[in-house]
Amino acid sequence: MNVVVCVKQVPDTSDPDVEVHIDSSGKGVDESKFSFVINDADNYAVEEAILLKEKHEGEVTVVNIGPEAANQVVRMALAKGGDQAIRLDDERFAFSDITATARLLASAIGDLEFDIVMTGCIASDDGYSAVGVTLAQMLDLPHAAMVKSVEVIGDNKLKVGRELEGGLLEMLEIETPCVLTIQTGINEPRYASFKGIRAASKKEIKVMDLEATGLSEDQVGEAGSTAVMVEYSVPVVGELAEILEGDAAETSVKLSGILKEKGLV
Amino acid sequence: MNIEHGTFVEKYDLLGCIQCGRCTGGCPVTVRTDLNVRLFVYETVDDDRLEALSEKHEIWDCTTCNNCALRCPKGLDPFEVLLGLRSMQVEEGNIEPTAISALESVFNNGNPWGKPRALRCNWMEDIEGVEKVRILEKGEKADVLIHTCCTACYDPRIIPLARNLVRVMEKAGVDYGFIGEEETDCGSEVRRLGEEGLFEMLDEDNTELFDAYDSGRIVCLSPHCYNTFKNECENIKTPVLHYTELVAEIIREGKLELTGEIDSKVVYHDPCYLGKKNKVFDEPRYILGRIPGIELMEFNQSREISLCCEGGGGKMWVESESKEQRLSETRILDAKEMGADIVAVACPFCLLTLEDALKAKGFDEEMRVADILELLGESI
Amino acid sequence: MHDIFVLAEHREGELREVTLEILTLAGQLAEQSGGKVTAVLLGSGIDEYAGKCASFADRVLVVDDPMYKDYNSAAYQQALVELIKAEKPHLVLIGNTGQGVDLAPSLAVELDVPYTSDVVSVTLEGDKPVATRQYYGGKIDGRIEFKDADVYVLAIREASTPAGEGGKSGEIQKIDNPVTTEVTVRKFLEYVEAAIGEVDITQSTMLVSVGRGIRDEKNMPIMEELAEAMGADLSASRAVVDAGWLPTDRQVGISGKTVSPKLYLAVGISGAFQHVTGIKGADVVVAINKDPDAPIFQYADYGIVDDLLKVVPALTEKIKEMKG
Repeated sequence: MNVVVCVKQVPDTSDPDVEVHIDSSGKGVDESKFSFVINDADNYAVEEAILLKEKHEGEVTVVNIGPEAANQVVRMALAKGGDQAIRLDDERFAFSDITATARLLASAIGDLEFDIVMTGCIASDDGYSAVGVTLAQMLDLPHAAMVKSVEVIGDNKLKVGRELEGGLLEMLEIETPCVLTIQTGINEPRYASFKGIRAASKKEIKVMDLEATGLSEDQVGEAGSTAVMVEYSVPVVGELAEILEGDAAETSVKLSGILKEKGLV
Repeated sequence: MNIEHGTFVEKYDLLGCIQCGRCTGGCPVTVRTDLNVRLFVYETVDDDRLEALSEKHEIWDCTTCNNCALRCPKGLDPFEVLLGLRSMQVEEGNIEPTAISALESVFNNGNPWGKPRALRCNWMEDIEGVEKVRILEKGEKADVLIHTCCTACYDPRIIPLARNLVRVMEKAGVDYGFIGEEETDCGSEVRRLGEEGLFEMLDEDNTELFDAYDSGRIVCLSPHCYNTFKNECENIKTPVLHYTELVAEIIREGKLELTGEIDSKVVYHDPCYLGKKNKVFDEPRYILGRIPGIELMEFNQSREISLCCEGGGGKMWVESESKEQRLSETRILDAKEMGADIVAVACPFCLLTLEDALKAKGFDEEMRVADILELLGESI
Repeated sequence: MHDIFVLAEHREGELREVTLEILTLAGQLAEQSGGKVTAVLLGSGIDEYAGKCASFADRVLVVDDPMYKDYNSAAYQQALVELIKAEKPHLVLIGNTGQGVDLAPSLAVELDVPYTSDVVSVTLEGDKPVATRQYYGGKIDGRIEFKDADVYVLAIREASTPAGEGGKSGEIQKIDNPVTTEVTVRKFLEYVEAAIGEVDITQSTMLVSVGRGIRDEKNMPIMEELAEAMGADLSASRAVVDAGWLPTDRQVGISGKTVSPKLYLAVGISGAFQHVTGIKGADVVVAINKDPDAPIFQYADYGIVDDLLKVVPALTEKIKEMKG
């Protein structure tokens, strides 16, 4: 069972104290105050890939699009049990949309021998939930998104569970090779010890630039994109809690009204 | 996992053990967990059993309070055996998700709290009576280089400790400075969670960082950082002090006047890493005694036999499954019975655990837990 | 040429609300462009849904075939490709749901048309759609512009447009199944409900979280009633779990779980750093606490400063009333 797993390095902006500021171009954000981590869902994808390898043998190939600093997340994946890695790195890849990103991944993955390609089901920075399924179609492979369970049930057959709203699982059979986008909580990602990461730095990370991908300049970056993010803006939100005034009868009316308005009840 | 023959025997001098049981006999967590440290020392002699022993959940119950080491007639550090077993689990990647987050954050951000490095100095803004907290340039000279402690940089409950330390330094005219955003985790909890490799990296980083400044002394806010820099980072040549040692000194020298009265009965809780581990017992008591109005009391269990609060040894990230009363609650009940108004501490972890216990017991109206730095802040 | 397709979404005998929301949105856009709204309904034995969709659309295209009884992306995609090629709508709107994210991206690739996802609002500028979506967990908005195309596929976030009243009476048009070969690469097997009694709070969309402010175990039932009325799961701070009033797997925070619900209602939780670190992923945080200085109010969007024993029962009543 050979598995290719795609990992993305993202800024950790979930902390309430971390502010996101738009940079002067209006199309990027000031990243100088961010710390960077592996995308959460990708972390589960790495674990699932390694669990499958441990159970059914084979190799795990880690694929990343990112600068040299992204080696940090690639090395973690290698330390946990990945066998080799590819990092797609070229300035001309910047501002790639869903389609251009998937096209880049397809160029690196298309020639590999694999049974399953895994990606996280969503990236915490752009929230697209789309690259994996786009990639599947580009590779002309079947896919399943938001996967919460994977079981090998035949030579070229998997039983997978997709997580739907309310925790409902949609069980299905899918032929391999295929693409699965992995949901968080499918497993318990292991820890990559520092010694492990250091040892993994001996494993090769193959770096591919635009020429190596065999793609042309108008197939990547903004030129190769069809749905382009052209401008960031600051949403209007309050800082401190809005305190609802009044006695219990009044505040409960106000709060239930707000919850209804927000579609929460 | 590849274990060389005699790994533990040699590393922890296990054949020196006479199995007298004084370690387990004095272990404070035995009242709420199944941990038997003597048995681990006995069993880890057999290499073939290490793997299985490392899988026992009790190895995570130890708070590394140092009681067993203090009581050992042969001078061993029995709890270190448990850390060795923890490190085997860490190598396998098999640890609690909460501990994984903490360790990954130390690796990525230099602190275990999942906070960006760039926010490390946010606590320094707008301190009463302080124009600007001094951050040193590389190579710059200062008598005292202060290491803040990650918890004091980021935890809103602990930040006031750092801010008060700055006020005290300014008031006493001490030539002090901070490293700034580059300051990094001391590695104390990293090592105690069994992450030896990461600890080695931090040891190297911190040693190099301290070397880059021309400081006479390093002063730590937390006893945990203090202990690590003083005893575990062998290449740090600059003398390392806990803040209570420095403050006691400047009070003795007449540089710091304490005028504000705190009219309260105060009982001092010895933090394990300050007291039991480093024998700093008198300085905190001296400082408290110099604050006008304070009537100082003593716990029955104080100094060498002080009761651990269970905040150290990586326990901030690995909860015990035990439903028995927490040691911090026992401590608070004792203080209540003595009629204390304030439980004074000199450690961020003790402050968090004891204050939690105080609230859990519902005594927050009549009693409080305060770090000596907070009391100093009220008195200067 | 300004027509809008909306894919109807149904599951286990129910037309999902998101369908009506997106039909409402499509209606607003069509009013502007002068186009027609077509609901596309794939299923088996779905006359009832067709009727419902008809009151929100100008037309309902119905393909009734056992092949579509339960959702299968491979079958759905083939059918949609055929219908879109034949009908040439200008916009195709699909819910950004567990179904939509499994279908819309590959559909767009096969059609070779622009696509974007999780759209919170969409406007028409001239002939072309312009989408707004969120980045960095909602901390930044972004404007998406598309390259020129005949068709655009957009996945729309649930609850981003409230469903309107309907009131149209669209024509229901049943057509033959455009897919004539059996789909084999992927097969639906069954739906499995989340095991009862095993709540995974990391996956909960609504959490009512209890802190030490509850004081006593005898007060727990009012929290349970509130959670039940809201359709939320119960979680807790460490103090409550320590006390044994809720199991360990309900604990939120550094030493517990990290949660990311749409709503986190913190009741009697002061908001210690070790706790709030666990709620970083929550969309909306509401805090009820009698201490106006409790740090939880720094993290909350809305706050009530009052005794929870007074507020919680009142709130439960209001929510029950509202839900009828």
